[in-house]
This record gives sequence, structure tokens and C-alpha cells, in this order.
Amino acid sequence: MNALLHAELLKLRTTRTFAAVVGTAAVLSLILVGLGAGLGVEKDPHALFTNTSITYIIVLLGAIGMTGEWRHRTITGSVLAAPNRLRLLAAKALSYSVAGVVLSVLVTVSTMAVGTLILEIRGEPTLGGGGLADVLWRNLAVAALLGPLGVAVGALVRNQVVTVVSLIAMAAVIEPAVQQVAPHVGRFGPLAGAPGGILGGPEAGGLLAPGLALPVLIAWAAIAFAAAAWRLQSRDLI
Amino acid sequence: MAPVEFRGLSKRFGDFAAVEELSFDIEAGRVTGFLGPNGAGKSTTLRALLGLVRPSSGSATFDGRRYDQLEQPAARVGAVLEDASFHPGRSARNHLRVLAATGGHPAQRVDEVLSAVGLEDAADRRVKGYSMGMRQRLAIAAALLGDPQVLILDEPTNGLDPPGITWLRGLVREQADRGRAVLISSHVLAEVAQSVDDVVVIADGQLRAQGTLEQVLGGDDGPATEVRAQDPGRLTGALERLGLRVERDGDVLHVQGATPAQVGEIAGRERVAVLGLAPRVRSLEEAFLTLTGAQS
Repeated sequence: MNALLHAELLKLRTTRTFAAVVGTAAVLSLILVGLGAGLGVEKDPHALFTNTSITYIIVLLGAIGMTGEWRHRTITGSVLAAPNRLRLLAAKALSYSVAGVVLSVLVTVSTMAVGTLILEIRGEPTLGGGGLADVLWRNLAVAALLGPLGVAVGALVRNQVVTVVSLIAMAAVIEPAVQQVAPHVGRFGPLAGAPGGILGGPEAGGLLAPGLALPVLIAWAAIAFAAAAWRLQSRDLI
Repeated sequence: MAPVEFRGLSKRFGDFAAVEELSFDIEAGRVTGFLGPNGAGKSTTLRALLGLVRPSSGSATFDGRRYDQLEQPAARVGAVLEDASFHPGRSARNHLRVLAATGGHPAQRVDEVLSAVGLEDAADRRVKGYSMGMRQRLAIAAALLGDPQVLILDEPTNGLDPPGITWLRGLVREQADRGRAVLISSHVLAEVAQSVDDVVVIADGQLRAQGTLEQVLGGDDGPATEVRAQDPGRLTGALERLGLRVERDGDVLHVQGATPAQVGEIAGRERVAVLGLAPRVRSLEEAFLTLTGAQS
């Protein structure tokens, strides 16, 4: 499993996609935090340091990484090198979990540093060590789970464009709409509902409490992974 | 036990039978040509052998074990499939590093196989800039990573230029001489004829012939002779009275079922002057067309 995980992380590092996404995400986050704190648009440091948009990039990265195996037809070579498809899928899911955590740490820590500096200069309240740690674990937890979720959805759908468009539609349109119409249902959603509960903090209204949102998101990731594993194992690679 | 065994292998896709009851062996130290027209079921057979498609019935094994049951499959079997593809944004070296890590091969094998296929100077270029021939060489490099005992090549000459094809012939011969079993599928018969020891011919998913190249070239109708006679009509009558099949082409007779010595003896008895006499060896093309029922 270690060898497979090493190989999957190597795949991530040896194309420009991941580096480009990480770099773009980090720069955009710093700009947004700089503007938010500098212009006084967002004065709540908890909200300022919560990387909602970054965490959704992870789910797309996972989906692109998995569907890329079919798009570039590299899935055949991958399965030849590692014929245990369950382990192969698990290694890819784990690699995107690791990638999500790394990306989230980079972005969260850098935005916290820049944001805290700006808030202190402006004389606004900042978060202490405990508060920063609270934001950090929420960001990391969501990033660690959404990467594997994206991999699993990619393994089920296979078509890269369809997968990416579906995930964006789900996160940006369908789930928010369900949350408006039926909030008691929408707050259990996999891309906006449960992640929102984890990221939003205990005072966030209408969302699941983090202690419940976390196991709900874990369940979504596990169900998607199980379905993807079953489909991948039963599929003929022709 | 042969290194590779097919036993009653069948694969159906819905109502379509891609492969039906295939049984044959691949021996170590020999190059086996796996022949058939396009759509014969060659790629499906190889994919079933490699665990990429599930057989509907029967088995395809390495030393009696399925590919996914081998302890280190990528070190035991190297394969180049017809649609070998690579991430276009990854360099050849990185592609091989990924496969080496996945298959548990030593990292230094990457440089060794890059050198073996002549790609060392282009190793750090992204694959999207590669020609088809270079991609094919990279696929072969990937197959050689584990220094495998069994090498499976599906239409490996696709995209290779003449020097590349010559290089590939040398490579498969060298692998066989080192005791490896090599299975090479192709529909380009002339290329295979110069490379293989044994031949397996399939068509419509069914086995049509197998044996050494000479056996398959000779056909399954026994010996055949070409004879040029001064009185071909009289000799034809004599041969046909003995139950032999004769096809006449001008003054040349194609005699099926008799050796040149037998034909010469019959001609002597009939006092027909023989102007030329030779064993008739079918070309692989001819054998292929006959065996597969394909149209020339």
C-alpha cells in the first residue's frame, strides 16, 4: 500500500495541474484575505480564515485525477501494475486526501499569517492560538474528506467534463437550493451541507453541528468509495 | 506446465461472442505469433489473460495462476497493449518512475529501460511531443521495467518505422533466447513471419490453427507439391485417379497430399516428362487467408 500511495503522490507531483491549482488557490486566497481584512469587508477572523472555496477545489482535483485515468487511458497501465483494483482506488483516494491536507495547510496557514497581521495593524480583534487551531482542523477535515469523495465520483462517472460540471452544479446550485427549500434535508448534503456544518462553527445557523457534520461527511465519502470500488472491480477495461 | 495457458477461454459481450473456447499454450524460450484479422478477438484474449476483462468461462493463467493472483505481477509479466497511453503532460522518465513505484521495481530500472529502447535523450520531454514510434518505444520500456519472464506485445509494430521494427525483432529474439516466453499479436503477417517460432491463428474468436511456423505454413492438408509437366493434362488425370487434389495453373500443377518424390514417381509411371518439381510451401499470407476465411 505504501508503494501504491507513493506512486499516486508521484503522479500528482509530476504533472503541472496540481502545482498550478495549488499556486492559483494560494495566491487567490491571499488576495481575498488581504482585501477582506484590509478593506474591513470581513471582520470575523473565523470566517476570514475559513477556506470554503479552497476545499471545493480539492473535490474537483480528486475528480480530475481519477477521470484523467480514463481520459488519457492510463487506467490500463495502472491496473496492470497494480491488479488489486480496490487497493489502487484506495491509494488514489488516500493520495488526494493527503494532497487536500497539504493544500489546505498551505493556504490556511498563509492566510492566517497575512490576515492576522492586517487585522492587528487595523486594530481589529484576532484569533488566539485556540481559535486558529479550531479553524485549521475544520479546514483540514473537510479537505481530507472531499479529495477522496471527488476520486470516488470520478471513478463512478469516468467522463471528466460530466464529472466536473456535475460536482460544480451539485455544490453551487442543487445543494444550496435544497437547503433553501428543505433545510432539514439540505444540511446533510455531501458538498455544501455537511462541509458547511464542519466549517461554519457551532454558531452557524441552520447547519449541522460539527460533531454531527463530520461523521455525515465521512459517511458520504465511505458510501461513494464503496460504490466506486464495486464498479471499478466489476468493470471490464477494454 | 507452460508459462502461459489458455483453457477453454470464452468472453461474451451481451450476445456477441468475442472469444470462444480458446485453448493453447505459450512456451518459454519461444516467440509465439498470435494472428488474426482485425476483430478476431486477439486483444480481448490478451486482456482476459492480463485480468483487464473477466472471462465468461474458462481461464487464462501464468504458471496456473491468474494475473491478479501473481505475487509481483509486473515483475513476472510485461505487456504492451494496443492502446498504450500516457498522460501527455508527464515526461517519459516520470511516467516510468510512477510505474516503477507502483510495480515495486528498483528506481534504477527506469534509466536502464530508457536506454534499452533508445529514449534516454528524450526522457525528460513531455510525452505529448512524442511521435507514435517514440510512444511505442516508451510502452515497450514500461513492459520491460520488471525484467519479466513473460512478454506480451499487442500489435507492437504500430507506429514503428522500419529501423524500429528491425530493433523490435531483435528485442523479442533476445528475450526468447534468454528463456522468456514472448507472445506477439499482429495482423501484419510479414512482420510476424520473420520473428516467430510458433503461430496461433484465431478468427471470429475461435482457434483456427496452432503449431510451429512451418506446420502452419504447410497447412493441415498434408504435403503439397508444385510440378511442371510436359503433358499436364495426362499427369492431372493420373494424380486425380489416386485421389489427390490437383489445381492447374497453365502447365504448373499444384498437388495437395503428395510429396515431390511421390509426384515424381507417379509421373515416371505415367511416362510424363517432368520439367520442374518442388515442395509447395504456403506463404503465411496464403495460410492466414485460408485459415481465417478472410478475403484477400
